[in-house]
Parts: sequence; C-alpha cells; structure tokens
Amino acid sequence: MSNFTNDFVFYSLFLLISFFTLGIIFDRIRGKKWSDGLEDRVEGLSRFIQEWKQRVYDIRKSWKIFRRSALAIIGLTLIITVSTISIFADDIAVEHPYRNLQDTEDLWWIDNEPRREAPFSEACDWHEQGIDIFGIKSKGYSRYVTAVSDPVIVANGSLMPLPLEIIEIEFLEDELGYELNNSLLIVHNETTFFVTDEALNVSTSKIWVTYEFQNEDMHHWWLPDGYDVCIMGTTNTGQDLFSKILYGSRISLKIGITVAFLTVALGTIIGSISGYYGGVIDEFIMRVTDVFFAVPGLILAMAFVAALQNTTSLTTAMSTVAFLLLLFFFTSLRGVIAELFTGEEINMSIRSRIQSLLTNLDDGVTKQQPVVKLLLNFMLLLIKLQFLLYTILGALVFLFLWSEIWPSGQGMESQKAMLLVSMIFLFFFVSIIDLNYNKGISSKFISKQFSESVDFGNPYRFLALRTILIFVSVVLLIIVTNSSESRFVLVQDFDRLWKIQAALVLTGWPGYARLIRGQVLYIREMTFVEAAKSVGAPDGRIMFRHILPSAWAPLLVAFTLDVGGTILSASGLSFIGLGAEPGTAEWGILVSDGRRFFPNSWWLVTFPGLAILVTTLGFNLLGDGLRDIVDPKNKR
Amino acid sequence: MKLQEFIVRRLILLIPVILGVSIFTFAIAQIIPADPAAALCGEKCGVVGSNGLTAYESNVIRLGLDKPVWEQYLIYVTNLIEGDWGESVTFHRPVVEKLRDAAPITLEMSFLSLAMGFPMGITLGIFSAVWQDKLFDQASRFVAIAFVSLPIFWLAMMFQYILGTQVGICDPITQALPLIPDTEGGCFPIYGRHDPTYTFPDTGTGFHLIDSWIVEEPTKFNPQTNQYEVSMTHWDMFADTFKHLFLPCFTLAIASTGGLLRYMRASLLEVMNEDYVRTARAKGISETRVILVHAVRNALVPIVTILGFSIGGAIGGAVLTETIFAFPGMGKTAVDAIVYLDFSMIMGVTLVTAIIFLLSNLLVDISYAIVDPRVRLE
Repeated sequence: MSNFTNDFVFYSLFLLISFFTLGIIFDRIRGKKWSDGLEDRVEGLSRFIQEWKQRVYDIRKSWKIFRRSALAIIGLTLIITVSTISIFADDIAVEHPYRNLQDTEDLWWIDNEPRREAPFSEACDWHEQGIDIFGIKSKGYSRYVTAVSDPVIVANGSLMPLPLEIIEIEFLEDELGYELNNSLLIVHNETTFFVTDEALNVSTSKIWVTYEFQNEDMHHWWLPDGYDVCIMGTTNTGQDLFSKILYGSRISLKIGITVAFLTVALGTIIGSISGYYGGVIDEFIMRVTDVFFAVPGLILAMAFVAALQNTTSLTTAMSTVAFLLLLFFFTSLRGVIAELFTGEEINMSIRSRIQSLLTNLDDGVTKQQPVVKLLLNFMLLLIKLQFLLYTILGALVFLFLWSEIWPSGQGMESQKAMLLVSMIFLFFFVSIIDLNYNKGISSKFISKQFSESVDFGNPYRFLALRTILIFVSVVLLIIVTNSSESRFVLVQDFDRLWKIQAALVLTGWPGYARLIRGQVLYIREMTFVEAAKSVGAPDGRIMFRHILPSAWAPLLVAFTLDVGGTILSASGLSFIGLGAEPGTAEWGILVSDGRRFFPNSWWLVTFPGLAILVTTLGFNLLGDGLRDIVDPKNKR
Repeated sequence: MKLQEFIVRRLILLIPVILGVSIFTFAIAQIIPADPAAALCGEKCGVVGSNGLTAYESNVIRLGLDKPVWEQYLIYVTNLIEGDWGESVTFHRPVVEKLRDAAPITLEMSFLSLAMGFPMGITLGIFSAVWQDKLFDQASRFVAIAFVSLPIFWLAMMFQYILGTQVGICDPITQALPLIPDTEGGCFPIYGRHDPTYTFPDTGTGFHLIDSWIVEEPTKFNPQTNQYEVSMTHWDMFADTFKHLFLPCFTLAIASTGGLLRYMRASLLEVMNEDYVRTARAKGISETRVILVHAVRNALVPIVTILGFSIGGAIGGAVLTETIFAFPGMGKTAVDAIVYLDFSMIMGVTLVTAIIFLLSNLLVDISYAIVDPRVRLE
C-alpha cells in the first residue's frame, strides 16, 4: 500500500515537473520571458481564490440546511464511526482475520482459540495446543512442554509464538477429537506442562490440550478490566468475530464506494452522450437501458458474475476499460482533441463542403447526374453517422484484434505496450491530419500552434493539455504496472471480490445514465449553454465545463444512496456464495458462514448483519439529508 | 386513443426489449467459460456413435456451435419461440419444465409479499402525510429508511430465529390469527413449502395457495378402519401453505414497505394541496372523510406505477429468501445454476424473470390507463 502511494506520488510529480519544464523550455525557445504571462497568472489566481470563497460560502449554507435534520446528523455520525473503525481496525482488533484482503502481505496466523464461543464467554480465554507424543517417544524431545500461542507477528515484524501463562487445563483430546483423561498432563509451573508416562502410552501421535491462559499481550487493550473476553463471540474456526467484523468494514466500505464511483462515472459518460447528442444514439442507449431494467437487479448481477466466472485477473479488464475509453475519446472526440491542440475551431468541415456542393448541384446541372448526387448524399449520411461508425469501428477492433494483441490472462509485455501507445499516437495524428485536411491548414501552422499550446504562461492552455496528460498517464500507469522490474502495483490482486464489484457496476449504470440524461436534456436548453455554443465551444467542453457541473446535485444524492445499496447487494451476492471464499472477513460471507450454526450460535449471524444494517443506514440517512440540501425548496 | 389500441401499442413496444434481453442472455452464454457440448455428454464424449462422429462432435453439430455467432443467435431465438430452451445440466431436465415448476413459486411469494407490504406502506404513508412534520412523521421517515437498509437475508434469518424457534413468543399472534395452528418450537415453520409429513399433489397450477382448494385431498390408509381416509382437508392444506409462506413473504414485504411509504406520503401531500381537496374542506366535510374519500383515492393512482417496480424488487429479493427458506423457486434455481455454470438455466431464468417483470409492468400500465385516461393520449 505504501509502495503504491510512494510510486503514485513519484510518477505524478515526475509528470507534472516534466510538463512544466517542457513548457518553460518551449517558452525559452520562442523567446518568451517569465514575466510575460504574469498578469494572466495573477488574474487566474485571484479568480481561483474568489471561486474558492464562494465554494466555502456554499458549503456553509448547505451545512445550515443539513444541520436541521437530526436523522441526517445521525447518518453522518454512523458513517464517520464506521470509517474510523475501518481505518483503525488494526489497532482495535484483537487478531487479524485469517484471510485479510487489505494487507495480504502482513498475513497473520490465527490465534486458534476454541470454537464458536458465545459473546462474553469465559472460554474465549482458552487456547488449544498440540503436544507431539510421537516425537517425544521416538526422537527424544523434552517431556516438559512450554505453553505457547500460535505464531503472531511480534514487535520486530517476525513471526513468533508468544509464551502463555497457564491457569488451568480444561480438557484433552486425541488426534481424532476423543476426549482423554485430564490427568495425562500435569501443569509443571506457570508456563510448562509435564507429559506423564500414561500419556506416552496412549495410542495417539498427538494430544491436543485446551487450557485457560492469562496474558496481557493476548487481550483487548481497550476493554475495561474483567472483560478480557471476545465481546461478540468466536466463529466456527475459533476466530474472534469482533475482529472479523472490524476488518469487514474495510471491505464493505471499499466495495460500496468503488462501485458507486465507477457506476457514477460510467452512467454519467453514457447518459451525457445520450442526452447531449440525442437522435439515434439516444434512442439506442435508452433501449439498452430498457433491457437492463427489465431484469431484476440481483438476478442481472448474478448473470454477470457467472459471465465473469473464469476471469481471474482484473488487470486485463481494467486495461480494456482504459483502452476503450481512449479509443472512444480519440475517435468520436477527435475533432475536440484537435481543437484543444491547435486552438482552432472546426467550422468548415467536410460535411458543410459536401452540403455546399449539393446545393450547387441542385441549382443547375444535377438532373443529369443522379449517381453523383446519390454518392454525395451517401457520404453526407456517413458523416452524419460518424460517431456511430467510429464506435462500431472501435468495437470491431476490440472484438477481433484484442485477443491477438493481448491474450486474456496475460499481462502486457513491453512490445504490446509500445503497440498500444503507438496506436494512441496514431489516433492523435489522424485527428490532427483530419483537421488539417478539413481546413487546408499548413502543417507549419499546426506545429506552431502546438508549440504555443505548451504554454506555461497561459492557464487555459494548461487546462486543455491536462486532459491529454491524464490519458497518457493512465497508459503509463498500466504499462508500469505490468513490467517485472517495477515495484509499482496498481491492479494486481486488487481485490478478490472484484467480480461482484464489476457485476454491480455493470448492473447499476443504466439508472445513472437515465438520471444524467434527464438532467442534460433539461440543462441543454438553458441560456448559458446556448451562449457557450454560440461562441463556438466544442461539444466536449460544453459537456464537461458547462452542463455536468450544473448536474452534480442529484448525482451526489444518488451516489450516497447508492453506496448503501451497493453494500447491501454486495453482501447479498456474497451470501449466496458468489463473492469471496468462505472464511473471508466480509459481512455477507460471515452471515453465510454462520448460517450453518444458526440459531444455536445466533451471534455469528446477528452481529455481521447488524454491521451491514448500520453502515447502509448511515449512508441512506446521509443521502436523505443531502436531498434536503439539494431540494430547491430549501434554498433560503 | 382507445384502450385496445393502447394495449396493442404497448405490447408491440415490448418486443424489442424482449429481443434485447435475449441478445443479452445469448451474450452471457457466449462469455461463460463452459463448454455446453462437453457438459451434455460428460464422460461419454469420446464414444463414437453410429454416424462416425464422437458424441462430443455430434453435440457440437446438434447445438450448432460450429456455425458463426449470428447464425447461432438466430437458432437460439428460433428455439426460444418453439419452446426449446435447452437442457439443464444441473437439474437433468429441460429448462422449460424446470421453469414451469419454479416460476409459480416465486410469483406466489412475490405477489403475497406485495399484498402484505402494500397495506402496511400505504397506511403508514397516509398517517405520515396527515401528521406531517410531527413526531410520527419523523419516526416513519426513519423507519422507511431503516427498512430499505435492512439486508433481506439477515432479516429473514432473524425472523426464523424469533418467530420460528422461540417457543411462546408469538402466542398472541396465533390467538389473533386462528388460521395458524400451533407449531412445535415456534409459531412458523422455518423452511419448505409445506409440512414434510404429507406430499402436496402436483396436479394443480403450481400456486399452492390456489391449489390447496383445487387438488384432491390427500388420503392415508387407516389400518383400524381398514380404508383410506382424508388426512388433510382443503383448509388444512391452505393453512399449512400460508404458514410456510408467511415468513419469507413478510420479510420481502418489510423490504418493499419503505419505498411505498415514502411514495405514498409524497403523493398524498401533493394531492392535499389540490383545489378539490380545499373545496371538499370548504364544504365542511369531516377531515377523515376528506382524507379517505377525496385525497387518498387520488393519491393512490400514481402509487400503482410503483407496484410494477416493486414486483421486480420482490423477484430479486426472492433469490435470497428462497435460498434461506428452501423454496425451489426461480431464485434458488438461479443460484444453483450459477454455482455449476449451467448456462442454459441461467439464460432461461434471466429471460423468464425479465418477461414476468415486463408483463407485470404492462398490466400496471394498462390498469393505470384505465384509471387515468390521460395516459393514453401520450
């Protein structure tokens, strides 16, 4: 984890510094000085401060509205509590769960306490230890056996058993679990057993002794005296349920927030395309959402989990998504990208040329040349459907070339990475050439514009280039992730529960797509969007800088409510056995594992379920409170 | 637009969606990493048949796996229309047959749960709107959110524990509802569709609540009188079925109550501001009558649309309750099919739930169009 943070900071800093250095070098080449753009920068800074002040004011006002609702405050408190617990789980928990999804590297051995003890049971202070009778007989081990715990990580980081102070022997068992006479072992002193002669004559190779122990190291430091027992009981494998639930909060929060975030991102992209472009695209996307809505959510998610069954690594999937995004941006938005780089608008496109040609034809000579007209009309249709064509092209490339370029289950090799990067640059140059061809601009002009676009003095050029930078850095990250030399790990073994997450993202996006589409349809007709259009702002800019910022409010509410919903569905999927393996510290799995012992060991089901309830309730209450803030009726 | 025309138009609009779902299920089956041809023949894949091909190869040809994808899809759709939905590897029987048995179970559970949840949600919603911003309203708001946040599977198990195994805890309930006879242990059985001591005749519709009145009463040989006697009357069977259905349905009802409550409250509050309610009040009608006769009846109209979505939620939730209460419905079928990657079953379940959901939504829309003729004009 820390490796990841370090590397991430390092690479971001590297990219940022190299960008600024590049900008300054370009400025020097052109003979610009540091002081040239100073006024622009100062103005930009003051504008930024002003916006910041406005934002602080808005937040204060929202907090005033939020404060009125006691329920919302309760929700916020619940969420803060759960997040705090998940952050400090290492310090609060008594033992680490056997399978720890967060820190797989710091694997702890379970302190194998007795099985399925009730909350606050005395037996939680018991420990089970094997004594090797066969070893004593044949290899001459000492008959004095020290009482030690199972290996735990000690202060210096190594794996060591801790010595335990014996209070009394509870019972003895042989290998097969049959109970033996307690007098076979004698407690020699506080920390050692003496193996009697009778014990050596028992026909078993190992004796399991269960004894009560007293050790400050092995107890909860934060519990008051007299409560040195597992407060929520132990699971069927003898692990402390309370610790497992604490660690489960990490997984649940992570799943909830990741899935909700990805769902929002996917839904927003698709919904805004649908709402902004309208027409055939809108119709198509809405029919797709209809299909998704027709199947009940849980069953749809189950179908997706089934489809993902044999995919073991997330790397390919993540890279696929990144690649598709790149493909999408570089094909359908290539005009926008070309504009970003050259700073010019595409006004005279092929489309308008053909249209003018058509009108020319219509004026006089056309009647004799229906074929030409048909051809031109066909070209016009192609250009009108440009977006669709590029999408189909992208999909085809993905379907047929992908497995060739990138066999599933394998990481990306350096040559393939080079191929990918070169493909991206190809797209980039195609878009530049496209513009060049459309407008008849000389390449010299474009290179001049390009060099000016890397302008440190102009903050808005910086913003435009930032978009490109993000994509390049995404690719860089993916490349670096898979090369064996680097210690940078982005998505490798990201989470064992990723199948559930992917399924939930794929299930959830249509809701957001519809929400955003409605918002975009509404905002699109507003005056400020029209104003932006009339000064010739490209579609991408209108979308991201004008429309989406106005649509964030319902999104935020939906996001908050969705985090709760996702935690519920994810635990439901885990419960029916589609998520993590049994024994994982995940709430759904804990309930599912405890179900075998229900209702006798009621705590195994009750407490993890309560944890799910509390977390979901927190997010839902918070979302409800946020809805009040967003509600225009409350804007006073 | 006439009502018939409206219905026909809606039916036609359903076709592309169902086709879309079929494309979806087909795509899922393409992605699922299971070889259907190998799954069908199992260990006998290498056996050479009379036509000179191995069992595996003939399966490949029979299932059309050697054809291009689009042709496979066409075959799939044709088979769907002809009623050949494939063979389930998990259940060793045709998918259609299994679904015919499973669908009524899920539907029965979903409808009964809605029948329980609807009155609860509506009543709470009415009171919540009438006492707006009072303590009851705040409390019911909390309850609504809490009900939505409850994990269904956990709630079901809590009910199993409290109502199913705790002796004496629901004596008042058994007294209030005389149709539920005393059960050993708790008041409700915690799994199964009916008591294991008798076999429910499977000659009826599949909906046991209806079947218990239709099918013949099971008989039992009595050695003392030396003749067959009726062991379970119709009433006994009905009560037994209801008793077994109560816990899963109540669980699902709780889950759907939260949403209904909130929608009812919002809808009623909107209606209360309408002119006709003001007129009714001005006429001097009592407040109770204004609310029950004038406001609630109008507020219920938009709630009908919510019912359509609730059915989807109930079918989804049935996956969990069926697993816990051991009902062999579609949810349990889907879970079993996914565990063994039985792709034809997964396709079948997805398609059937989608069709059920779409049809129930269609019914809701039609009833909405009957109640509110303005809808037909769109």
